[in-house]
Amino acid sequence: MSDVTAESRVAIASQRQLIWWRFRKHKLALVSATIVLLFYLVAAFADTIAYSAPFDTEAARSYIPPQPIHWFDAEGHFRPHVFALKGKRDPRTFKLAYAPDPSEPRDLVLFGHGYGYKLFGLFPTDRHLLGVSNGRPQDALFLLGTDQLGRDVFSRLVLATQTSLTIGLVGVTLSLLLGILLGGISGLYGGWLDLGIQRLIEILRSIPTIPLWMGLAAAVPNTWSSQKVYFAITIIISLIGWTELARVVRGRFLALREEDFITAAELCGASRMRIIFKHMVPSFLSHIIAAVSLALPAMIISETTLSFLGLGLRPPAISWGVLLQDAQNLQTLGLAPWLLVVALPVIVVILAFNFLGDGLRDAADPYG
Amino acid sequence: MVQPNFSRRSVLTALAASPVVASAAAQAAADLSASGLVGTLQGPTMILDPAKWPKKFQEAPMLAELVKAGKLPPVEQRIPAEPMVWQPLNEIGKYGGTWRRAFTGPADGENANRINASDKPLFWNASGDKIVPCVAKFYELSDDGKIYTLHLRKGMRWSDGAPFTADDFAFWFQDIYNNREIVPTPTPQMEPQGKPGRIVKVDETTVRWEFDVPYYLFEELMAGDTAVGGGQAVRQAAKVSFGSYAPAHYLKQFLPKYSSLEAVNKRAKDEGFENWIQMLHFKKDWQLNTEVPTLGPWRTVKPINNPIWLLERNPYYYAVDTAGNQLPYIDRVQLTLGQDLEVINLRAMAGEYDLQERHIDLSKLPVLLDNQEKGNYKVHLDLGFAGADFLMQVNQSFDGDKEIAKWLKTADFRRALSLGIDRDQINETFFLGVGVPGSPAPAESLPTFPGAEWRKKWSTHDPVTANKMLDAIGLTKKDSEGFRLRTDNGERLRIQVLAIQAFMPYPKMSEMVADHWRKIGIQADVKEVERGLGFTKAANNEQQIFIWNNGGTEFLYLFPVHAIPVDPQQAFMGTKHGQYYASGGTKGEKPDDPNILKIWELFTAASSLKAEGRNKNAQEIWKILVDQQYGIGTVGQSPAGLGVRLVSNKLGNIAGRVCNAQHCRTPGSSHAETWYFKS
Repeated sequence: MSDVTAESRVAIASQRQLIWWRFRKHKLALVSATIVLLFYLVAAFADTIAYSAPFDTEAARSYIPPQPIHWFDAEGHFRPHVFALKGKRDPRTFKLAYAPDPSEPRDLVLFGHGYGYKLFGLFPTDRHLLGVSNGRPQDALFLLGTDQLGRDVFSRLVLATQTSLTIGLVGVTLSLLLGILLGGISGLYGGWLDLGIQRLIEILRSIPTIPLWMGLAAAVPNTWSSQKVYFAITIIISLIGWTELARVVRGRFLALREEDFITAAELCGASRMRIIFKHMVPSFLSHIIAAVSLALPAMIISETTLSFLGLGLRPPAISWGVLLQDAQNLQTLGLAPWLLVVALPVIVVILAFNFLGDGLRDAADPYG
Repeated sequence: MVQPNFSRRSVLTALAASPVVASAAAQAAADLSASGLVGTLQGPTMILDPAKWPKKFQEAPMLAELVKAGKLPPVEQRIPAEPMVWQPLNEIGKYGGTWRRAFTGPADGENANRINASDKPLFWNASGDKIVPCVAKFYELSDDGKIYTLHLRKGMRWSDGAPFTADDFAFWFQDIYNNREIVPTPTPQMEPQGKPGRIVKVDETTVRWEFDVPYYLFEELMAGDTAVGGGQAVRQAAKVSFGSYAPAHYLKQFLPKYSSLEAVNKRAKDEGFENWIQMLHFKKDWQLNTEVPTLGPWRTVKPINNPIWLLERNPYYYAVDTAGNQLPYIDRVQLTLGQDLEVINLRAMAGEYDLQERHIDLSKLPVLLDNQEKGNYKVHLDLGFAGADFLMQVNQSFDGDKEIAKWLKTADFRRALSLGIDRDQINETFFLGVGVPGSPAPAESLPTFPGAEWRKKWSTHDPVTANKMLDAIGLTKKDSEGFRLRTDNGERLRIQVLAIQAFMPYPKMSEMVADHWRKIGIQADVKEVERGLGFTKAANNEQQIFIWNNGGTEFLYLFPVHAIPVDPQQAFMGTKHGQYYASGGTKGEKPDDPNILKIWELFTAASSLKAEGRNKNAQEIWKILVDQQYGIGTVGQSPAGLGVRLVSNKLGNIAGRVCNAQHCRTPGSSHAETWYFKS
């Protein structure tokens, strides 16, 4: 095949290959895809990547600033380590000051022991990506510092990533199901069904989202556990998210049902469901993927916004919004600015998703 | 000018009658000497010897102008013949200036009620350990404890110039308090042991309270922040109608008795009220109605329901300094709306408030200190006297879940929970180490403190004993994560902790306790609720453990609400028991715990005891409370509530430490009318 020109490669390439080639050209989207993938890896292995138990409070660790890692020891050998910290409250300023104790180095190790958890909810283990050679990691390791209660910010951030990203994913899945179902019905059958669904979408979309979310979130019973609230919030967010997808799906349906191959399938006596799922859905799947990747950041932002406003998830649940709300006070700015680090992953992941969605949308129509 | 004609002896007798507090200064608080933020309890000195009183009077320039214009009588005619005379803390002040302050909206009326607290019949001194004259120049108590006589100041006037006399007390009693349309439920404070008392006018400046049973507690109630002794500002605002006196000459026009029902109702309709009662509630509310005559140093000129609540000096205020200057020194108090506490704290740091102790957050102390120079203010810490600034009240009348209710009512379960809390951690994290960890009993310096061993009883960190106790009461089975299981269905035992974001970050503090309890196998679910909802839930008996503080309970008889279940609304440790007590047994539910019955008995009996006996009863009550752990104390005697005081360096006569307690009406007993702007 070495003499085959690029032109002819395109001619014989499958749709999938074409999309990939097109997507590859969009460098920003490629980088973004890697970032998104990394984030979801973090979400999947959150407990492994976190090294301190997220609820383990300790006054003697309150407001520790991010801790530097020392890569080489005194002899110049590569030996990553941190120093044990000694905290003391200044009797005049009331600030906690931490001083490293050079006599007590703690070596960093990979896959060290830490708090116990179940990997994927199945396999009990206490191994974490990072650990220290002697002692518990929550007493020694503070890569991004600690909050007021002495909880490790890095570990909490990782677990928050898990919550916030899965809420987005579950929310989009729900929206997708609703969107394809209602959009499909609308596009395929038309008539008064179409009219009804389209007006419903318009009504939903005409309501400003934040007040609507606030209203719905306020209706979540206060007696619910944080898991229940989590699911309720997901549903609330997806209840609005589906409208956009339904519009896309409907449009594609309207366009496709006039196509020859659909008529052919109909003439062959294929059932409605077979036509939808075997013939129509595959032909606009790429569009749906693109729409989903654009809907995801919106979902994540929604959760973060709601939780930040104190209407979504509430402590002890950990999510980006919850962590941000925790950082929303004067003493954070003055005493512990590192708590604001939470904003960083939010920005990065939202940008990445948007670029990825952009790239996907371009690639989804390789002939375009 | 008329010379005051009461003897010095009678005043001193009155003062000596009430050695309620031994010495508040000797407090067993954390060592804060290095910080230099905790000063000595001090304040202006009241001059009681008429011989040392000034003979000539001066007034503020803004009032002198009005006098010149003929709009106000000269100062000699405005000040009572027997004024309240203050020797200011440091020096005679200068007139003028506007005191800038923050308030959080119409619900924050207490903000300025408290700086007008000198409208109370009697009051506490600046260190909060002695009852002193206030609106009344002195009082007498009959030997049998049934008759109280209050002697008013001759020539004292309302802020509109009308005379303030015994008639104002008789009017309040007959026409306001005894009118069930205005006051649907009489206050138990006027009915010792269920027998209603009476207020009788003796002459223009003498009023008598008559009770059928001995009521030695009444003197404390008259000086405390209570329904009878609270004064006009706080007790006749927000549709409440207590306070023992009212401006008769002004309010009569709004009562049907003095015209007719039709007339007052018509007037109410014309002015946009539903009926005359609504109109009356508005008319007597000094925060809303700028026309109602008052007695305090400042009166409202722009009502509280504005972005700026503006107060201006009362031209008839009854106090002078030793040089004869009519007080207050400061012309105006300007309270600016700040609905968000972060905003208030930020503005305070920028030096936008001249003196602010309300809504200042203790956990911001390091930042507040950092900005002292930039904001041109100084930070003072005023330590409190209450035993628990973070109190976990265990609902003894909970009936939402039989299994949970059983454990909440088990003394050893509560004790184990208490032993499972690491109080030093809470003190360090949230109180910056300045509080006193231990039981909810009041400060060691108070005569109601039951004894040193009761600070630590069941209130240390001892998870080993706690685990043993929980095992012993039958909570032996645990799940894979180490949490104890219910005995009825084998599921995890989950205790709900209801926490409101108020005064301190209670939800976050509860999270820390939940973390401690994890180590004794108890799962606590912290539920953060908005204040209104939380109080409604508690009033509906839905709380399992409720988070609040016990501020005020250091004077148990003046404010028992957060120590023992006696209030129908806020008995967090037993809503139905509180309803039962308050209704005299007609509502709620009688507790089956003999200890609660014993507490009630001691509490009820105390009203007819003299100070010594009352203190003994209070000690007994505290012993039971600490032993039973109905309220689990954590850290107390801190400056967390109203105790972080930011004072502009421009202000003079400021105390090193202000009495931070409910009965002192912080900063009321420091008498803001003696503060002044140095430049």
